[in-house]
Amino acid sequence: MSPGEVSLILFGAFGVLIVIRVPVSFALGLACIPVFMLDDRLTPIVLITEMWKSYNAFILLAVPFFLLAANLMNAAGITERLVNFARASVGHLPGGLGHINVMVSMLFAGISGSSTADAAGIGSLMIPAMKKQGYDTSFSVAITACSSVMGVIIPPSILMIVWGGLMSVSIGGLFLAGVVPGFLMAVFMMSTVLVYAKIRNYPIYQRSSFKEFIQALGQAVFALVTPAIIVGGIVFGLFTPTEASVVAVVYSALLGGIIYRKIGLKEFPKVLYDSARLAAISLFCIGTASAFGWLLAYYRVPQGLVDVLAGYGTGLITTGFLIALSFLVIGMFIDAIPAIIILGTILLPLAAKVGMHPIHFAIIGVISLAFGLVTPPYGLCLLISCALGKIKVVDVIKDVGIILVPMLILLILVILFPEMILFLPRWLTPEFL
Amino acid sequence: MKSLLVGYYRLLKWLLTLLMGLIIIPVGLQILSRYTGIIPRYIWTEEVARFCFVWIIMIGAMIAVREDTHFDVDLLPHPKTKRSEGVRNLVVHISIGMMALFFAWYGFQFAKFGFIQNSEMSGINMATIYISFPVAGISWLLFLIEKVADDIKLIKAHDQEVAE
Repeated sequence: MSPGEVSLILFGAFGVLIVIRVPVSFALGLACIPVFMLDDRLTPIVLITEMWKSYNAFILLAVPFFLLAANLMNAAGITERLVNFARASVGHLPGGLGHINVMVSMLFAGISGSSTADAAGIGSLMIPAMKKQGYDTSFSVAITACSSVMGVIIPPSILMIVWGGLMSVSIGGLFLAGVVPGFLMAVFMMSTVLVYAKIRNYPIYQRSSFKEFIQALGQAVFALVTPAIIVGGIVFGLFTPTEASVVAVVYSALLGGIIYRKIGLKEFPKVLYDSARLAAISLFCIGTASAFGWLLAYYRVPQGLVDVLAGYGTGLITTGFLIALSFLVIGMFIDAIPAIIILGTILLPLAAKVGMHPIHFAIIGVISLAFGLVTPPYGLCLLISCALGKIKVVDVIKDVGIILVPMLILLILVILFPEMILFLPRWLTPEFL
Repeated sequence: MKSLLVGYYRLLKWLLTLLMGLIIIPVGLQILSRYTGIIPRYIWTEEVARFCFVWIIMIGAMIAVREDTHFDVDLLPHPKTKRSEGVRNLVVHISIGMMALFFAWYGFQFAKFGFIQNSEMSGINMATIYISFPVAGISWLLFLIEKVADDIKLIKAHDQEVAE
């Protein structure tokens, strides 16, 4: 079969199955079956062996552990402490709770590697609080959803771990490269909140005294040092990303169980179960997506794409925009992890051909996929936030669109100026580059 | 039948929680042994963690079929009648069922390879891990019986309403 025919079968079958609402993981697997059956050189058992190979990877173990750490932090009441700290720092700006929401997301992103844990934990606290103070529900939900995407951009990040593991890029390097865009995203979003607050006259908190600030800092300090432990540990080679994720679990269990005494023997199994189940669902998808990606590679579809595009003579920047656009579109429809496996591996030779730095390629991909977390029809953070705010997705779209504009500017900046993200890893850990 | 399925589902939930708790131990041991020397450097830790992990993924995927929590995409407008909802669900469940049959059949072939292999570090027979694939296929089929029965009930309920 030709690469064209195979792509037609794979993407055609996948598309049809998705539209009739077959779960993404099953749609990816089912789409592969006809190709395995039709080609004499292949045996269907490859589908299973490819899945097995993708699961039997020590690096992916970090995914359930980081989810578990984030859920333990939520259960330990750390989010409340972070909210108090953010209130003492930025609560006095116009649109106080909006800024607090963004800042807590940023701080929480430094602890958790997952945006969905971020949206669920912060949303359940902040959305009711914002509604109570007279913020529009749609704005409260939109800012919660959009700010939660920092979870995958600011280290630690589950998406970067998957990316690094799959495409052999240094995870420490990726983590460091995510710091600047993550921080800028928070600044951009807080500027948006400021504009909203001016136009809609949102309430302001009284400025906290220095003493109150120090108190709030003291209450949150154990949570605030987590990113230093995790990211520092990985970047300076003390432990592997998987080990770092276990350190995060043990640390948050100690905080929740012994220091803050919020998690008892009854709550612990429930947190274990919830984290394991969510991780399993996402990771099961990795298996079928890997088989799908394997078939594309077997029929040299990525190479075909590179050849076609090479005919147009695309340069570094055009390719950057092309990569971003592809991830933005696929991110609307499927989960970020299978998107990385399928599209990332297709686009990798293209990025390499135009001489794009692997870390630059990865960060463009991760930021573009972060949009997918809040864009319908399949934006998990948006769905979670809407459920928490008890509002329909349609009613939030306008505000989400407005908040995404500065994020889009950030993405364009990252594409145009790779040094913006590369200087930090280059400076701290030149050996990773 | 129903109570058997509920019991099996509870067992899987319990197993998933247990495995998630257990898997922290080998990775934790790995760090402890490297930095403290309290315990020797075991070489089996990473492998045992990976094998538990594969079982976690497969058990989670089994549970998610019963709970209908595998990620799907909401593109089409929602079905207006019970009948069309029942038909839509039936098509989805049959598709999952095809994948389940595939897993049960080819997964079993895959597990047969495992009988003649032992793992490199810990010497565990590989069939004990490979078997998770056919077990997933069979578990999906079991849970789907219940699902398909519900779908047919939904379609019939609609016909009854129309008749009345």
